[in-house]
Amino acid sequence: MDGTARSEPDETRISAEPPRPQVVLRSSEFRKKREEDWRALEVLIDRAERRGIRSLSAVDVQRLPVLYRSAVSSLSVARSIALDRNMLAYLENLSLRAFLVVYGPRSSLLDGLKRFFARDFPRAVRSAGPHLLIVTLAMIAGVAAGFILTVGDEDWFSALVPAGLAADRGPESTREDLLTKEIFAPWQGAAHAFAIFANTLFQHNTMVGILSFSLGLAAGIPTVLLMVYNGLILGAFVALHYNRGLTYEIIGWLSIHGVTEFTAILLCGAGGLVIADKMLFPDRFSRLQSLAVHGRVAAQIVIGAVLLFFIAAILEGGFRQFVQSTELRYAIGWGIGGLWLGYFLRAGRRRG
Amino acid sequence: MASPAQPTDILPAAGRNHREIISPEGVPLSVELADFGERAVAFTIDFILLNAAILLLYLPLSYLVLLDFGGAILTGVMMFVAFLVRNTYFLHFELAWRGSTPGKRITGLRVIDRRGGPLLPSAVIARNLTREFEIFMPLIVLLSIGGVETGNVAQWLSFAWILAIGAIPFLNRDRMRGGDLIAGTMVIALPRRALLSDLAQRDALFSFTDKHLTAYGAYELQVLEEILRGAQTEAYSADMLRQVGEKIRRKIGWREPVPLESEAMFLRDFYTAERAFLEREQLFGKTKVDKYSQPVRRV
Repeated sequence: MDGTARSEPDETRISAEPPRPQVVLRSSEFRKKREEDWRALEVLIDRAERRGIRSLSAVDVQRLPVLYRSAVSSLSVARSIALDRNMLAYLENLSLRAFLVVYGPRSSLLDGLKRFFARDFPRAVRSAGPHLLIVTLAMIAGVAAGFILTVGDEDWFSALVPAGLAADRGPESTREDLLTKEIFAPWQGAAHAFAIFANTLFQHNTMVGILSFSLGLAAGIPTVLLMVYNGLILGAFVALHYNRGLTYEIIGWLSIHGVTEFTAILLCGAGGLVIADKMLFPDRFSRLQSLAVHGRVAAQIVIGAVLLFFIAAILEGGFRQFVQSTELRYAIGWGIGGLWLGYFLRAGRRRG
Repeated sequence: MASPAQPTDILPAAGRNHREIISPEGVPLSVELADFGERAVAFTIDFILLNAAILLLYLPLSYLVLLDFGGAILTGVMMFVAFLVRNTYFLHFELAWRGSTPGKRITGLRVIDRRGGPLLPSAVIARNLTREFEIFMPLIVLLSIGGVETGNVAQWLSFAWILAIGAIPFLNRDRMRGGDLIAGTMVIALPRRALLSDLAQRDALFSFTDKHLTAYGAYELQVLEEILRGAQTEAYSADMLRQVGEKIRRKIGWREPVPLESEAMFLRDFYTAERAFLEREQLFGKTKVDKYSQPVRRV
């Protein structure tokens, strides 16, 4: 549809009139001047989206931010001077896509995880100090109560410890039973170890983690109760062995994986409390905003705790029965515990 | 004063809801929120790919069956492999592809930071490992220990948990799931839009006076733009264009007859003149949103 072809049918009607002034559109002029840059940017963005930013040459990588800024400024101008819907929509879209390429940090899985464990996770844990203190105290209270109750009356053991965790142990267990079937039960090979590993990781620990974290949404009280309950179980366990003169052995047996595992449980609880705290006292944010800002910290703590659960499960499945010396169990368990402490206190402190 | 936030809001794109993020340059960018359907499709595609990868890794495991290993061990190994694969899958792609996965790429979705900042690796990790807590692990508990009829507390809890978590995207206006909420991200649709030719014609055949042009506002102008672009791709027949033309002429009080064959040209010239007029008015601070509104002065 060019000008000459279409002027024919109306020749008669307009021939008498003088030639009309041309319609000059600011938005069209604007577009003509800038369009080349937009197209160039579009080509770069297309390529970066399809094949990654590495496919751009060094020159293109240098041009990208310049073209991006010019497109964004075009967009602001176009919004005030143009009513061309297609052009506006195009510029919006182009600016957004370019924005995502320019400001989208690329990182590999390895980089991301490294950054998380080297910096974000220990920082998140440090920022939840008071919450950690509360859940730790709750758990200690639970341990003490469970111990005192069960030492006096072993029926409490069956009441406190769920059947799945108690297995065959109970008030009727003898010292010999506990020594041969539990504490120094023979190593049953790698395959059996792996089954224990998977079972503890995917069932018991995960549920504890999920529960303590999510119950944070219920103002945190269930989280604290859950910590107390976990402490009760532990206390009851120790008491059962205390009554049979096995305190030293059982603590060694529990330490090898328990130090890591209970750290992880405490971390999950602290994560739940962070959520509860920020929902109850959102400060100057709305509750939803507060959740978004601080939820990330809580999630980082719990996600890191998954790693601890992982390691605890490996220790429990793989090493607990493999290492048959109580002293060595203490050494491994608390040695790793010390490493955790050092990690949480020191890692990621640089760069403010 | 009801002035539109952005000119593109005047005639909103059909379907999706819009949100605004502020780029670091301080320019608000409008983003289109992904629909539930699109996200479900993206997730289904990812889920299929993911499980294909898991099955592939299970092939060597059939060797273990031959060796007559216990069932518990085999389930353990299988769960472990599945756990690793599904987490590596989402993390790897959302990190390396800047908030995209194969499923999201096919459906044209992206994960972005809700406030317009860069999408940080910690946010990607948070939103994806939460997925594990949100869906996968409760699902495993639900399916693993036998039927629900046993009344297992853990299973009922998992069930309630999945229901509650599944409801979250429906309960907030940005359609965030739990992981998005915690990571401060949202999922948007990112279609590619093409820059079509400028409809404005420099040399006009028909000329209009300001009186003709005050009848309409920006909304009608953009509807006309859609019609003209539709006519270019032959979505609108000549007949329909004629009807539109008749209607416009009646409204603006155009007396001269327009021959059928120059209807398209009439509409185009009218579009050009109307746009020139409205853009000029807008430059003077008089924005007219649609035909019903009086021009408003924007400060």
